[in-house]
Amino acid sequence: MARFVTRRLLTMLLMLFAISVVTFVLFIVALPGGNPAAMIAGRLANQAEIHLISVRYGFDKPIYIQYVNTMANIFDGSAFSYQQGFNVLSQLGGDAPATLSLAIGAGILWLLSSIALGTLAAIRSGKYTDRVLTVLSMVGVSLPPFLLGSVLIQYVGYKASLIPLGGYVSITHPLQWLWHMLAPWFTLSVLFIGFYSRVLRGSILDAMGEDYVRTARAKGLSERKVLVKHVLRMSLLPIISLWGLDIAQVIGGGAILTETVFDLHGIGWQAAQSIGNFDTVTLLTIVMITALSVVVIGALIDILYAVLDPRIRLT
Amino acid sequence: MEEDATVRNHLKRSTWSVLLAVVGVAAIAAAIAANAAAKAKARAAASTITLLSGPGPQSLDPGLDYTTQGSEINWEVYTGLTTYKHANGMASTELQPGLATALPKISANGKTYTVTLRKGLKYSNGAPVKASDFLYTVERSLSIPWGGSATFMTPYVVGAQAYATHKAKTISGIQANNRTGKIVIHLTQAYGPFANVLAFPAFGLVDPKTAPKPFKVQASNPPAGAGPYMVTNISIGKSFNIVPNPNWHGLPGIPKATVPFTEQINANVNANALSVLKNSNQVFDWADTIPPADLAAAKATGHYKLVNLGGSVYYFFLNASRPPFNNELARQAVVAGLNQSGFSRLGSGTLAPGCFFLPPGIPGHGTGPCPIAKNPATGDLALAKKLLKQSGQANTPITVYGEERSPRLQWEQAYVQELQQIGFKHVQLKEVADANYFTTIGESKKVNPQTGFADWNEDFPNPIDFYGVLLNGKAIQATNNENFGQTNDPYLNKQIAKLGVVPTTKLNTVAGQWRALERYVAKHAYAAVFGYQSFPFFTSKNVTVKFTNDIYGWDLLGIQAH
Repeated sequence: MARFVTRRLLTMLLMLFAISVVTFVLFIVALPGGNPAAMIAGRLANQAEIHLISVRYGFDKPIYIQYVNTMANIFDGSAFSYQQGFNVLSQLGGDAPATLSLAIGAGILWLLSSIALGTLAAIRSGKYTDRVLTVLSMVGVSLPPFLLGSVLIQYVGYKASLIPLGGYVSITHPLQWLWHMLAPWFTLSVLFIGFYSRVLRGSILDAMGEDYVRTARAKGLSERKVLVKHVLRMSLLPIISLWGLDIAQVIGGGAILTETVFDLHGIGWQAAQSIGNFDTVTLLTIVMITALSVVVIGALIDILYAVLDPRIRLT
Repeated sequence: MEEDATVRNHLKRSTWSVLLAVVGVAAIAAAIAANAAAKAKARAAASTITLLSGPGPQSLDPGLDYTTQGSEINWEVYTGLTTYKHANGMASTELQPGLATALPKISANGKTYTVTLRKGLKYSNGAPVKASDFLYTVERSLSIPWGGSATFMTPYVVGAQAYATHKAKTISGIQANNRTGKIVIHLTQAYGPFANVLAFPAFGLVDPKTAPKPFKVQASNPPAGAGPYMVTNISIGKSFNIVPNPNWHGLPGIPKATVPFTEQINANVNANALSVLKNSNQVFDWADTIPPADLAAAKATGHYKLVNLGGSVYYFFLNASRPPFNNELARQAVVAGLNQSGFSRLGSGTLAPGCFFLPPGIPGHGTGPCPIAKNPATGDLALAKKLLKQSGQANTPITVYGEERSPRLQWEQAYVQELQQIGFKHVQLKEVADANYFTTIGESKKVNPQTGFADWNEDFPNPIDFYGVLLNGKAIQATNNENFGQTNDPYLNKQIAKLGVVPTTKLNTVAGQWRALERYVAKHAYAAVFGYQSFPFFTSKNVTVKFTNDIYGWDLLGIQAH
């Protein structure tokens, strides 16, 4: 176990380093339009102002020093937005509750719904129910969140007045919080439910033909126990793996469209703003947070795999 | 097969149980939500007016912000030595004394401005306002730096350039006497709109104790200012409150504020428009565009009007330093062919056609028939084709530069089509990300674009704000150039230098000369103007707008809830 954790930690650090270098090159070195100091100074700045900004923010230094300084600022929490002047980490800290609310609520919704629908599709395989669920899954996967979100806002929010027109309310007002989160949860979940239920359906059908399921039945176990303890336990492995990575991505700002459509001022919304403003430091920090959460949750999933599947050993 | 059927029956039962549980949870959630909605409606009856804005201000720190979204708030939070009248229409662009007792006294050579600070003024935190705070404020804005510093302040105030480049510890050209309240500003050259420059929120006085050195942007805790309003509870990029300043007791022409506001920054402008339509929130920001789908409903409320603030011009620059537009006939061909009503349609009907460079709200705006196409709304395609043929430039390849956002992209695409229609054989569109569009096309040496989209919104109602920056040969820079057309006409430069020194308050004495210059620029087709923009002023039914401001858009003192 210790060897496994050490190896994963080292791999994690290497991956983060590689991601940070690629991101830095993409956002700062290869910045479209060139000079970041000129962009920060604005369209009316003169050469003297641009030069001063360049010196102040270290754009005149060699690239590798700029990289080290930028990363040091991100990790020690002192990075700030050149465009708006805020401390990036504290700003993202303020954005985190909205994103966590979205990720956790939607994550639970899409996981439970996928298990229910995927299992139903598997046991009704080839029947009418399965076909209907297949079509619905395809619709869900093909429905972009900005479209579904806009339709909900227009018809369920504006016309029917059943949901708010967007915005985030702190969980300190639990009822308002819930009311504001229902539509974003649903919108984000639809995308994943379609995909997850198809994966689970296939996985269950595969597992049903396995020898260990036949053995379990031969031992006289009830069908419920066979399903829950043997079939679902194994079939859920790929789902849990996917779920972990997707949740990590949403936490790291991956729900850009959902957060933007519903004006949830979370990390995804902040990412969209940063892209629009060419706010490279904020964007770089968000990418690092996403990478970190994906890598950490990936490692946790590996451990969980071993718990669920006795054949896997962590070495 | 039999075994499978049994398994499936059991599975079916358990699956339906899970499904029922999920549906149950959803039903409970919906019930709770309905309850929450009822309570929310009851709370919405509060008297605070909510203003919804798509993009928020760059910053609420006046030392940094140079955006319309920031200025519309900050001009009433950081009152300058001068400010603008709280009135409707053109009257709202007239200067009036702000923190100073009177408008600046200008020396005969136009190079010395003298004002006296009013007595007994206090910042929003209760600290007294001192004359020396003006110098401190200017130093702070040049240090951060504020986006307009290099255009409006450093070239004109003695010692400002040296201070901005760290060659001097203070700005030698500003002297302030705290005992008498007298402030004297020495300019390097006469600059007509300098009294307007003093009204910029960036030079609205700040309390030094709340903005200590070394100067830095105070995004979440901007310095205390002196004005009818103060900003509190800032959640950067999300929301903030604009509440009456308890230490502002009103000045002549600048009353005490009574109505509190909350600004919410929501990128989804469609949801913002719907929210105002439902009266859930009160004010839709004028700088945002109401989506066409909501326009009819907004108009039907009776609380929507399209206002031409009179201070913005939209145009395609034509680079006179390189082919094909170093040929005057080629430039005239483009201007002749512009179908401006088509451009207006693409912009949800928000553009008014015109051919003169100054927008209608600026003194000196051109009048009379257009020199090239008689009717700019439709253009004259036959004339355009004829002029291009005469120029012999049809085979010159053209790259049109443009921004990505709507409707600008659509305007640029229509422009490309028009160039092709009048006879240019090789035209391509190059889109640049909005965030660095103007700095990209401002690269005179590396890029030096032939033509492309440009716009300008007034900083103050003086023609020099447009001509001095956008058409002045002496303003051409290697980087961050704003004279995208590289216009460098000796006659034009001479007239700009001559007319630019006339103070804004005396513009009526030279309005005729500006109008003549307008005709000159239109005749030589130095820019292809395609309209002056109007903006949507839209509120809910429980709000009355008594007056707006033609420079900053909203005047919070003119908005009331009922």
